[in-house]
Amino acid sequence: MPIIDVRNLGKTYRTIEKEGGVKGAVKALFRPQYREKVAVHDLNFQIDAGEIVGYIGVNGAGKSTTIKMLTGILYPTTGSISVLGHDPQRERVANARNIGVVFGQRSQLWWDLALIESLNLVANIYEVEPSRYKQLLSHFAEVLELDEILKTPIRSMSLGQKMRAELAATFIHEPKVVYLDEPTIGLDVMVKQRIREFIKDYNQTHNTTVMLTTHDLGDIEQLCSRVIIIDAGSKVYDGPLNAIKQQFGKFRTITFETNQPIVSVNLPPACEQLNLSEFSLEVRFDRSQISASQVANAVMQQLDVADFTLNEPDLESIIKHLYQNPTAYNEVGARG
Amino acid sequence: MDKLYYRLRTYRSVVGMNIKEILAYNFWFWSQVGAHILLTIAYISFWKALYSERDSIAGLDMQQTLTYIILARIVMPLVQWGYTQEFGFWIREGTISSELLRPVDFQERIYIGHLTRTFVSLAQQLIVVGSLALFVFKISLPTDPLVWLSFLISLLLGCSILFCFDWIFGCIAFYSTEVWGLQVVRGSVLLLFSGVLLPLTMLPTALQTIAKWLPFAQSVSVPVSILSGMTPLSNLGSIWLQQLAWLSVMFILSRLMFNFSVRKITVQGG
Amino acid sequence: MLRYTKLYWYFVIQRFKILMEYRLNFFIGSISTVLFQGASLVALWAVLRQVPSIQGWTFEQILLIYGLLTLSKGINHLFADNLWVVGRDYIRPGQFDRFLVRPINPLFHLLADRICHDAIGDFIVGLSLVSYAMVQLQLPINLTSIGFIILMVISGGVIFIALNLITAATSFWIMDSIAVTNVVFHTNEFAQYPLTFYHRSIGMVLTWLIPYGFASYYPASYLLGHEIGWMAWLAPVVALVCITIAYKGWLLGLRNYGSTGS
Repeated sequence: MPIIDVRNLGKTYRTIEKEGGVKGAVKALFRPQYREKVAVHDLNFQIDAGEIVGYIGVNGAGKSTTIKMLTGILYPTTGSISVLGHDPQRERVANARNIGVVFGQRSQLWWDLALIESLNLVANIYEVEPSRYKQLLSHFAEVLELDEILKTPIRSMSLGQKMRAELAATFIHEPKVVYLDEPTIGLDVMVKQRIREFIKDYNQTHNTTVMLTTHDLGDIEQLCSRVIIIDAGSKVYDGPLNAIKQQFGKFRTITFETNQPIVSVNLPPACEQLNLSEFSLEVRFDRSQISASQVANAVMQQLDVADFTLNEPDLESIIKHLYQNPTAYNEVGARG
Repeated sequence: MDKLYYRLRTYRSVVGMNIKEILAYNFWFWSQVGAHILLTIAYISFWKALYSERDSIAGLDMQQTLTYIILARIVMPLVQWGYTQEFGFWIREGTISSELLRPVDFQERIYIGHLTRTFVSLAQQLIVVGSLALFVFKISLPTDPLVWLSFLISLLLGCSILFCFDWIFGCIAFYSTEVWGLQVVRGSVLLLFSGVLLPLTMLPTALQTIAKWLPFAQSVSVPVSILSGMTPLSNLGSIWLQQLAWLSVMFILSRLMFNFSVRKITVQGG
Repeated sequence: MLRYTKLYWYFVIQRFKILMEYRLNFFIGSISTVLFQGASLVALWAVLRQVPSIQGWTFEQILLIYGLLTLSKGINHLFADNLWVVGRDYIRPGQFDRFLVRPINPLFHLLADRICHDAIGDFIVGLSLVSYAMVQLQLPINLTSIGFIILMVISGGVIFIALNLITAATSFWIMDSIAVTNVVFHTNEFAQYPLTFYHRSIGMVLTWLIPYGFASYYPASYLLGHEIGWMAWLAPVVALVCITIAYKGWLLGLRNYGSTGS
């Protein structure tokens, strides 16, 4: 029995189209033009208890829309969602008791209240049993190092302090499912590390299900065993992180800068030309079949190369590759 | 010459921006129109009820009073809101420092934007409230273009005086974050002493004296009295002189106050 | 219910703590409403002192209407002021999301999030006006009349809240509803005076469509002994109907939340 069960989920937005200029504004005043935009299309996945799933995609791919539907904020246009057996929209309150949500760029705490007051208020809203609350508070104060900021109002906290505060408020009612939307955005390495450890630790001790959207490869690598990739509203990959890395980790790219305009170039086998402009060329090659120096040699014999750089693959480029080759995710044995 | 051209070009874009901003808000636009119609009807009905059993109040007959009230309503949105809230916003969000770095004088730029907004809503008001008065309540508006011209000049002066006052007042936002409350305080004083609710001559003498020593009457009562025919055109010279005097005093004060307050912010590093 | 009461009280205490942090704001907010009401009243008085009565209504009788309306407005101001800014301060910046992921009614959360102390001004002005008018007009002040006034003020307050709620719900479609709320709310200015001042159709609108009349004119007429029959007691029913419709509208808006995309 999966904890989160998403079937044929879809969401279409309707927006008013506006033309530029004063004329456009006047026109929109009298006859607004609507445009439909499909944000999420026919999404299916199941997540089991205790899983930490990375939910990734470029900006505008539909990540936030999905999270908002899962948490009950948005109503889906089509399909159904079940979280621990509850419909997040129709049984909002029952669902809300089970879940915790962090929106990385927005605080859910009270701007003017000291952190401790905010936490008290949250505990009251969730009806956390007072002795349990005390216990959790002292535990969080320790692992998130909250002691120095408990009396500080949120408005005067740094970004890192805010996120630590946010996590405490999110976990204070011991949610069974947690959604983290960009939890480490804009934070420095030390804070990022602490936050990852906190999430990992909490997941292991409570068997909490975690769904995480992020742009940070480090978050994914350290936390997630499974990754769901979404592009243009549709799922393009769903499977173990290792499989992507094994498959795509063997690729490297080299970027060449030349002194003369590039007319044509013949690449050795196991190479693929990615970008070509007048003075630069980007080549991807399969490391298991050809070495970087072989590729570089082959190119330099044909072109007047001024400089070249070897690029390690990052998640972004892997994802990009997946988008460009819709069949690629079949290669790594996607499920779902 | 170049400089002037540059300035005019900047202003043109500022003006364009403000018009667009106003029109962009569909619902704002139409609902404002709706609100004005409603309030105009309420006011006229109230005054008609007042005059139903008598011919004159404080020496004004119904036609005079109604003309005044309607015109005051047309002018009302010009004075309704200052920009204390904008000030508060700039200061809270810390944008004030970047605003100050722009190449056009800050106060000048805001002034142009403010005037544009003011006169766009004036036109809107004139069409909506004016036609309501003309066709529904059969209240005649003046037809002499000279009267209209004098009115517009006096109104421009009045708006500028109020602008400078609001500038001074807005500077309080440097010291307090309760901008809404301040706005209400300002609105209350304006309501009574600008002549927007009723002809100032209807106030008791003591209040009339206070109104005379406050700048608010200059922006509503003075121009509206010209347009409604309560002030003869022969008095225009002294009226404009008075308005100019008010304007220079308020302008200097606004500059001083702003510079003083900005220094406070830069010292605190806010 | 008990849970919500306790929680509300807790919110109030937190709000008070914030207010105490900004004492100057607290002070400005409180006097601002008194000033605003004062300015309108002085204007009214300035006009009415010159005439003995308008269409049979004396200054004191009009003050009674005005005072009752102000008290009802105060209830709305105190408990439901956040409805004004739900679009601008919560929905547009995305702050509304947090209400939807918490295990309490989002509307309750929104209202409890900011009770508005400025309403003190409304209560001071309204209470003074009503008592002044009652004394001047030599109306009986006893348990029945006080009970009647309390019932009517609460009903009036609920009518105000209901109308603001239904207009606030439009922000789920148009992001910022202040303009819409503004139009409907301003019709309450008609209800400051006897409805007989206006064209019959306006009186009908203020009774059956935007029923602010039940917050002022009808209860005042009853207190003054005018013959208005069962209309005197209709306010609670009207309030109940209004708030039910408004809440349905709000729920409909909630379904539509966020669908405009960002």
